[in-house]
Amino acid sequence: MYQGDDRHERAPIPGITKERTEKLIAETLAEMPEKARNKRAPHLGANEPTATCCAVKSNRKVVPGVMSQRGCAYAGAKGVVWGPIRDMVHISHGPIGCGVYSWGTRRNLMQGIPGVTSFPMDFTSDFQEKDIVYGGDKKLEKLLNEANELFPLAKGFSVLSECPVGLIGDDINAVAKKMEEQLEKLVVPCNCEGFRGVSQSLGHHISNDSIRDHIIGKFEFPDPVGPYDVALIGDYNIGGDVWAAKPILEEIGLNVKSVWTGDGEVEKIGATHQVKLNLIHCYRSMNYMCKVMEEKWGIPWLEYNFFGPTKIAESLRAIAGRFDESIQEKAEAVIAKYQPMMQAVLDEYKPRLNGKTAMLFVGGLRPRHTIGAYEDLGIQITGAGYEFAHQDDYDRTSPEMANGTLIYDDVSEFELEKFVEELKPDLVGSGIKEKYVFQKAGIPFRQMHSWDYSGPYHGYEGFKIFARDIDMAINSPTWKLVKSPF
Amino acid sequence: MSAEAAVKIVTETPLEEIERVKDWINTEEYKEKNFAREALVVNPAHACQPLGAQMVATAFEGCLPFVHGSQGCASYFRSTFSRHFREPAAATCDAMTEDGAVFGGQNNLFEGLENAYALYKPKMLAIYTTCMPEVIGDDLTAFIKNARLKGHVPEDLPIPYANTPSFNGTHIHGYDAMLKSILETLTAGQKIDGKCTGKLNLIPGFDGNTANIREYKRILELFGIPHTVLADISDVFDSPCDGHYRLYPGGTKLEDAAESINGKVTLALQKYSTVNTMKWIEDEYSGEKVVMPMPFGIQKTDEFLMKLAELFGKPVPEELKAERGRAVDAMTDAHQYLHGKKFAVAGDPDYLLGIVSFLLEMGAIPYHVLCSRSTKKFEKEMKALLASSPFGATGKVYINKDLWHLRSLLMTDPVDGIIGDTHAKWAARDANIPLFRIGFPIIDRVNLHRSPVIGYQGAVNMLTMIANKFLDIKDETCENQWFEMMR
Amino acid sequence: MAEKKLRQIAIYGKGGIGKSTTTQNTVAGLAALGNKVMIIGCDPKADSTRLILHAKAQATVMDKVRELGTVEDLELEDVLKWGYGDVKCVESGGPEPGVGCAGRGVITAINFLEEEGAYTPDLDFVFYDVLGDVVCGGFAMPIRENKAQEIYIVVSGEMMAMYAANNICKGIVKYASSGSVRLGGLICNSRNTDREADLIEALAKRLGTQMIHFVPRDNQVQRAELRRMTVIEYSPEHKQAEEYRQLAQKIADNKMFVVPTPLEMEELEELLMEFGIMEAEDETVVGLAENA
Repeated sequence: MYQGDDRHERAPIPGITKERTEKLIAETLAEMPEKARNKRAPHLGANEPTATCCAVKSNRKVVPGVMSQRGCAYAGAKGVVWGPIRDMVHISHGPIGCGVYSWGTRRNLMQGIPGVTSFPMDFTSDFQEKDIVYGGDKKLEKLLNEANELFPLAKGFSVLSECPVGLIGDDINAVAKKMEEQLEKLVVPCNCEGFRGVSQSLGHHISNDSIRDHIIGKFEFPDPVGPYDVALIGDYNIGGDVWAAKPILEEIGLNVKSVWTGDGEVEKIGATHQVKLNLIHCYRSMNYMCKVMEEKWGIPWLEYNFFGPTKIAESLRAIAGRFDESIQEKAEAVIAKYQPMMQAVLDEYKPRLNGKTAMLFVGGLRPRHTIGAYEDLGIQITGAGYEFAHQDDYDRTSPEMANGTLIYDDVSEFELEKFVEELKPDLVGSGIKEKYVFQKAGIPFRQMHSWDYSGPYHGYEGFKIFARDIDMAINSPTWKLVKSPF
Repeated sequence: MSAEAAVKIVTETPLEEIERVKDWINTEEYKEKNFAREALVVNPAHACQPLGAQMVATAFEGCLPFVHGSQGCASYFRSTFSRHFREPAAATCDAMTEDGAVFGGQNNLFEGLENAYALYKPKMLAIYTTCMPEVIGDDLTAFIKNARLKGHVPEDLPIPYANTPSFNGTHIHGYDAMLKSILETLTAGQKIDGKCTGKLNLIPGFDGNTANIREYKRILELFGIPHTVLADISDVFDSPCDGHYRLYPGGTKLEDAAESINGKVTLALQKYSTVNTMKWIEDEYSGEKVVMPMPFGIQKTDEFLMKLAELFGKPVPEELKAERGRAVDAMTDAHQYLHGKKFAVAGDPDYLLGIVSFLLEMGAIPYHVLCSRSTKKFEKEMKALLASSPFGATGKVYINKDLWHLRSLLMTDPVDGIIGDTHAKWAARDANIPLFRIGFPIIDRVNLHRSPVIGYQGAVNMLTMIANKFLDIKDETCENQWFEMMR
Repeated sequence: MAEKKLRQIAIYGKGGIGKSTTTQNTVAGLAALGNKVMIIGCDPKADSTRLILHAKAQATVMDKVRELGTVEDLELEDVLKWGYGDVKCVESGGPEPGVGCAGRGVITAINFLEEEGAYTPDLDFVFYDVLGDVVCGGFAMPIRENKAQEIYIVVSGEMMAMYAANNICKGIVKYASSGSVRLGGLICNSRNTDREADLIEALAKRLGTQMIHFVPRDNQVQRAELRRMTVIEYSPEHKQAEEYRQLAQKIADNKMFVVPTPLEMEELEELLMEFGIMEAEDETVVGLAENA
């Protein structure tokens, strides 16, 4: 498992103390009704980097009425895990909304010819009252036949159930089984109704389970297995991340046999059990699969981090350490090759960014994984938190943050606004729902789910863009116009 | 099933097969198969009811939209508005989960109302539902009454609520249901026989263009007609960036909405998104009630202004007369760039009627008119509109057909331009036809909601956008010998 | 002009107890007394209007919705039929057991009828004939606020029928706490069990309500049903027709509307034992097999 080598404690951030942070938390909680206060209190804390585990609690139900930023299991299944697989037709099974809102709004880019070999589209059964009352199984069967006829090169179908499907007791698993035989193509049911679980996270897990049960181990690569075969797990190709990450691994001599699931191909995913090592970027959404492949096929796995030159170098060395010297030499060569390019990026941007602070609130990985990239640019992180992380994510976060910094889980709009108002960061990195709240207040902001319509941010190419974007956000002259002179 | 037994080899689709299918999906044969679809919907151009409910709830001052149901839905609605307007879109949710699905959502609602009230101090909470409580049959009337009885919310806090099942109708119906409930709630006990505020209640309907609302208000101010917009999103979704985030940046004042029942005239400018609201207003409100089409283009704007003049006994202001003249001047100046050009139009019923009407008066041809979820009544009305002009003679109306159907139409029977929301960009790209973004949502271009498409000004804006794009294309694609200084 | 007050009535009771027959005969009785009535069948079986319409099966709201694709294109005249005594008849319809969501069908149908103006001002009564038990929110739709304010439970002297009646009362209490729905009484549809009338009287008393009428068992009901008719229409002079007319009149005149006081299980069992329907449990034999 990946252990960053800089386990050294962060230097204290001027003005950030445990006492100040705890006072801020107490003041924020004080404005809530008692029941909500008691529920929320364990989710907020001041960081203690040396503690064995992070004290902040996570993966609990949303407190009703507090304006959480969370999504649902369907969002985790459709948006995160399944949607990026490019050669399958992903069916949003249920009413119209879910499919429309999640159509093209995650930026998991894909190659191929849309509608022919790739399907970045919205397929839905558009449930009407009659489908609720009479059930939707027959419609699903018909729909699969129609989809197969109109999209003959699709390598398979995923059926992603929306809330009503589970409530009315439809049996999509039976339909999928029948249709898989009939169409002689993969038909994968995924019972990811939005009301299940507490966040997107359960959707990841349910999807992982359905990949385990229906896809993995079902295929083999045509060419013989090689010693350098690896799979890239948990990179969703947001803004082209995979296309910036994969070439680096290839450059150090590894064969990337499959990608989960950004720009992914389902049959290659199904043959991943043949690789020698699984490299996992988004631990939160896909650690289950790595564990399954480890248990069933004995495939080791390694967490890595491709944000910013420091973490990339650390990661490349750790990855190469799992292979022979030829790979290790190439890794060093690659690190050395890109060093001047990275130095040029730092020379350009760091002088303008050094000493700035940022607060982050993203899904389940990036708040900790991007810290290194910010730090490369001289930016310190004063607060971080996740929408849908679990304890193991927070345990990985705590050592990456300075003492006394603010940690917040499933932070509500009310809380985050107070925190930002008090800590006054130079940048907030979070999602679309938060973006304009802070921009109205004159605080620079980058969407850190979608890379704010930019990217890639992974790898060396990605860092160039990341640095440019962060500089652009913080140093845009438009912020100087916010306060009117009259 | 044993995994080992079923192992297959990873395959690559042969290139010639890809080429074959790539060509095939553009054919007449494919179109027929595509139009024979009964169960599968591909790339629809409509959303679900609660989205519309949220839009109208947001448009009242101090009102916090409140989703009863799944948390994920609330996030989807908020994200959709923030992407379209590039503005905050506050809404809260009582985050029902599996236990709520079995036992009902009353406890979630209680807790949610209490927290939302304490944290966000709304003047009004507007509740609407997601699929989940609709399927299990939660009784909002009883729940809200109980919440008041048990003290989770103050007795006097207005809490309108609407059932907005996503498996029925579209976002425009959610808009209608929520607006009706808000007006019912706010006007209860406010009607005074014989009283008339002298005001116009203007109901714009579901419209993702804040500048349209500002344009309505400007026109009414030029007329000197006192008015209340029901409901006014213009300041809510187009708020200033001045260093302060405002949770409630504007919207229709609750007291104005309460008084609207004693208004002089209630005028709805969208028919299909206000059906039930207007049915109720017809029975309950004082004064005259009028439903008109959106004032797209010259003639519909003329009708709107003449109606205002008639209802309020005031002449059409000179300024608007001059504006009309300038708009017509712009249209005659540019008519040659649109005349005879064929268009595909996709969107919501009221927008479609407006856009088609504008195209007809430009001498352009609305050729494929597509609404991905509507009724036979709408189909009939659209056909009648097309039949009213020789330029509509070749136009065909497609209801309950989606943007993948539209793609087939564009491939087999091409047009010069497409008018619709961002979702149409895939079909537009495949067909290599320019897309003019008018509608909701527009999530890939900036500031279009800040430029009106209704009124005389809107006609000029649409015309300018379309004509110049055609000219750009000509300049970008013509061979050297045809490239020239003037166009 | 004083508007006449529409009374909306929901009939509940255990499945197979004779709810639909009782409802239709009662409605026919009210119609015969000159009232304007509408019946809304809220059971996917859709047999709540056949005796009034002399029809095998009426086209249901959900059937038509399924055929047309959406509710928006449905017209009132597609699903609203007139039968004996100008009674308006609608069936909500729904799926076969085991699929879909029949409860939602009830919600869909009632929403549709309200929006399309089926509740006309000339109506005196609307009857909802609701499936056996309130199993989910959908089947409670008829007793939500602004819908049925009175409930009658059809019951007999059989044990399970009384259990069901008691359970339904529990549901009513829940709705009565926030709304105005009240229990109007028990209708005993006799199965000729021992001391049946006394037993139901006693049960009614414990529930805080009344046995509004005791409908004796009579084969004339079946004879009429063979012709898909109510007794009222088939043989108005028959004594059974008179029973239903009396029931109808009692409902029309009823002033006793209560929030019921459902019994604890032990109390109910006590009552049943008192009337000899149930024997006292011998704890020493519990769990012992025959040959043990």
